[in-house]
Amino acid sequence: MSLLRKKAQAFTGDSVSLTGVGLSYDGGPEIFSNVTAAIPQRSFHFLTGPSGAGKTSLLSLMYLAKRPSRGTLTLFGEDVTQASRNRLAILRRHLGVVFQDFRLLDHMTTFDNVALPLRIAGIGEAVVQRNVSELLNWVGLADYMTALPAVLSGGQKQRVAIARAVVNRPKLILADEPTGNVDDAIAERLMQLFVELNKLGASIIFATHNQSLVARYPFPRLHLDGSAVSILPPLSTARTES
Amino acid sequence: MFSVRSDLPLRRDIANRFVVWLVMVLVFMSALAVTVNSYVDVLLDDWNRSVTGTLTVQIPVSDAGDKAAQASAAKVLDVLKRHPAVAKANLVPRAKLTELLKPWLGEGDAVSDLPLPALVDVQLGDDSPSAIAAITASVKTASPSAVIDDHRVWLARVMGLAKGFSAVALAIMILVTAALGLTIIFATRASLAEFATVIEILHVVGAKDGYVAGQFARRALIQAILGGLAGLILYAPALGLIAWLASRVDPEVLPHATLPLAHWLALAALPFVAGGIAMVTAHITVRRTLASKI
Repeated sequence: MSLLRKKAQAFTGDSVSLTGVGLSYDGGPEIFSNVTAAIPQRSFHFLTGPSGAGKTSLLSLMYLAKRPSRGTLTLFGEDVTQASRNRLAILRRHLGVVFQDFRLLDHMTTFDNVALPLRIAGIGEAVVQRNVSELLNWVGLADYMTALPAVLSGGQKQRVAIARAVVNRPKLILADEPTGNVDDAIAERLMQLFVELNKLGASIIFATHNQSLVARYPFPRLHLDGSAVSILPPLSTARTES
Repeated sequence: MFSVRSDLPLRRDIANRFVVWLVMVLVFMSALAVTVNSYVDVLLDDWNRSVTGTLTVQIPVSDAGDKAAQASAAKVLDVLKRHPAVAKANLVPRAKLTELLKPWLGEGDAVSDLPLPALVDVQLGDDSPSAIAAITASVKTASPSAVIDDHRVWLARVMGLAKGFSAVALAIMILVTAALGLTIIFATRASLAEFATVIEILHVVGAKDGYVAGQFARRALIQAILGGLAGLILYAPALGLIAWLASRVDPEVLPHATLPLAHWLALAALPFVAGGIAMVTAHITVRRTLASKI
């Protein structure tokens, strides 16, 4: 995937680092109160923990949809706790986010959905055409460029969502239960895409409650339980092929 | 290049279809207000021009009979014609007087038998207040019962009426602008709520607030221009009807006026002014609403 290989990592330090981070909604009780963790560049972490432990909330802090109610959040070495909304928007362009429910724009074709991040970033249409076509080829959806999301299967929608997440060549990919709505065989194929993206240089945080998936890959687990977070060793010792 | 691509699903949006209809009504009302204002302006200008620099001298019907009145009128006319400040003085013929009264009193013996005052129409060479005072003094000497009217009181009152019309037209424009602004604010807020998921996705993939606001602003602009053009289309037959009804009224009562080019340009600009107001309002509303989050 030449497109995704081009981007040099233009920062030093961790992709994400949290120091004593707490989050509460509208001054309510804290979902977690003291999370400290560092996600190095080019790493792959599962994000695990019981339902309601705050996996989605923790991810939404990382993709800058929420601000921590306490503590410090650093993204690519930059403290974003007090960053302006415009700065947050620029930083999001270095992130890719994949959701369980895909979150495609239903009135747009597959192509336009994937092209959206590039067009928003003001990339020229020639580059958009070339990069989006290449990516849709890579995720195996070259024949569905003009299809609307409504006619795609769950697995196809998630591949569109993954293509959209990586079209900006992100340094960090955040996935929130990306295999939650598809069967095991498709989950496995999607997982392969994430492994490949990781090999191409992106760090990945992959939230899931699918224990069998976690058990099959040799990646450490960022485990959220109660209000604490810990990094647990991989469940699997198998090596992914290069 | 101007892109017509929109990230917002337009067809589902009910709040903003309502904007088109409302702008149509508002522009229709504004167009009528502008027209009334322009018509009154033209009329007054006309009257103003026709009475400036003129005087009317009236020699009332005398108890001493027609002969005395005619002698008195002749004397006044003579004084006026010889006065240095007077350019021209003419006795208004009786036929012209009955003609002027026709729209109000009709024709027939009742009118022709009516004792009418003698009227002298005076064009001034010098219409300064001192010249008018000098003329008044001379006329009074010649005929103490003569009444001199320099139209100023009449004109001042008509001007007052015109200013009233202008103020009402201005008030309508202010109300219409306020209604447009409020409509856009509420319609934009409704769409922001309706498209919360779409906006969230746009943010996740790196859109700044300005980009999202631009999407709403461009749509508000297009909708307001469409509504405004529809309002003008609605206005055309209304103007035609009023013009036709007015043309049937005697011109002595309601003078016919040709509206100036500026009036038509102002009308043509209305949809675009509405578009501009809608665009700016939508932009500000979106930015404010988004800035209050996180």
